[in-house]
Amino acid sequence: MNAFGMIVLVFLVICAIATSVSKNLLVSVVIFMAYSVLMSIVWMMLESPDLAITEAAVGAGVTSLLFFITLKKIHAIRGDEEEDHHDEQE
Amino acid sequence: MIEWIRFVLTALFLLGGLFILISGVVGQYRFRYVLNRMHAASMGDSLGLMLVMLGLCISQNDVFVILKYLLTAAFLLLTSPTSGHLIARLEIATNEHPEKEMELMQK
Amino acid sequence: MTNRNDPPKNRFVGWLMGEENPLDDELELIVSTSQQEGRDVLSLEEAERQEEAEELRREKLAIDEKSQSVRIHSWAKHQGAHWLETLYRIAAVVLCGAIIFFLMTTVVALPPFGAENNPYNNEVSQRYIEQGIPETGAVNFVAGMILDYRAFDTFGESTVLFVASCGVIFLLKLNDHSSGKPSRAMLEAEYDDRHHEPKNDGILQFAAKLLTPVILLFGFYIVLNGHLSPGGGFSGGAVMGAGLILYLTAFGFEDTRRFFTYKMTRWISCLPLLCYAGMKSYSFFTGANHIPGGVPLGTPGAILSSGFILPLNICVGFIVMCTMYTFYALFRKGGM
Repeated sequence: MNAFGMIVLVFLVICAIATSVSKNLLVSVVIFMAYSVLMSIVWMMLESPDLAITEAAVGAGVTSLLFFITLKKIHAIRGDEEEDHHDEQE
Repeated sequence: MIEWIRFVLTALFLLGGLFILISGVVGQYRFRYVLNRMHAASMGDSLGLMLVMLGLCISQNDVFVILKYLLTAAFLLLTSPTSGHLIARLEIATNEHPEKEMELMQK
Repeated sequence: MTNRNDPPKNRFVGWLMGEENPLDDELELIVSTSQQEGRDVLSLEEAERQEEAEELRREKLAIDEKSQSVRIHSWAKHQGAHWLETLYRIAAVVLCGAIIFFLMTTVVALPPFGAENNPYNNEVSQRYIEQGIPETGAVNFVAGMILDYRAFDTFGESTVLFVASCGVIFLLKLNDHSSGKPSRAMLEAEYDDRHHEPKNDGILQFAAKLLTPVILLFGFYIVLNGHLSPGGGFSGGAVMGAGLILYLTAFGFEDTRRFFTYKMTRWISCLPLLCYAGMKSYSFFTGANHIPGGVPLGTPGAILSSGFILPLNICVGFIVMCTMYTFYALFRKGGM
């Protein structure tokens, strides 16, 4: 595997770990989008463009949209200020 | 000779685009407020990516590949400023104390 | 009028003829519907007062539960928690280490990537590579594989998508009031929908006006060219769904409803699935193993070739597009 593939795979692992480690759910979803884009590059390098198109459209596009809407529905998207306010109340 | 000129032009455009993209990333980490960070990010998106696309166009021989690059550039030029505008608008709509971060013009 | 003491057959016939079910009076169904109607008619102040009372009651309950749980779990909170947490951390580290160790051992033991005598280079892939194009007529023989050799599998996938969108509709769709007026939950969702979102944003609308046709065209191109180039029903359908979602985000439900209603979504989701089932049934009926069944394969590489793969691709594409759009619309507002 060439150097570019190595770099992409290392970033893939970093993104996968960061998705599960990050505390903020919104940040998690954004990192998951980056993971999907990197994954579609990896599919492209493994010579399966079918999967690359699907991963870019579904993984990076529609899935994260659904995640965003769900986070908005359950009121999990908060600014810093409101979070501080919330902490003060408790 | 013409090959050399093309190579130098491609390298210049690519390096310029990379410089602007990297400065955009640095700005996103250095700035604190949303609008400043968004300015850095969307400048990197539009100008940097356009320079990279121009460099790639110069480097290619095939007309259809160049056309595809141009179409990609047009798509990016339409989408990334729009998303930047939407983020800015959302920030202005939801921030309750914008005067803490910036000077507001009096109506 | 059927009687309660009738044998079950007569009751069934009565139900078929549209007569009233005599058992309805005894079930609690009617009571709950009358309550439902009564609650929707209530004035706003009444509803607020009820909500406040409910909240008070809930707070009281929470305090009670808290005191009880303090009494019950005091040991676990003070002595046991610390001990358990340490155990939990040690167990997590050990488990992670063990899994990493075994997976890495497996990776080391794998044969090299792309080697000649790997176990996956068997007679199946040989057959696909040698006979794929003459048998299916598709130049892109990934499409030939998933829509011809393994079409039953893809049928199951489309059904899974269909069932998923049905489940989302069951769970999230808000219904109209029986009198035709929108119910209170619907009005609240309508108000909540674009509270912080751009309403009639000129720049977004301009970009969407330019981009949506292009995105839809590109998605349809991917669907139609599924048997010639990379792509196919699933990816093209996802791209088309994303285009519709962009239009919906820019122009809102009112404008989208002009050309893409809930009724139309139902038809577009159900008809392609039925078409798929019909076409594949015909294919299996005529022998499945490429005994000529009257469907010409055409010349490989032409747009009208490869038998059933092109219409099957179109069916899958429409199902996927509707599923994506349904998910987005129902997640966002609970309606279309």
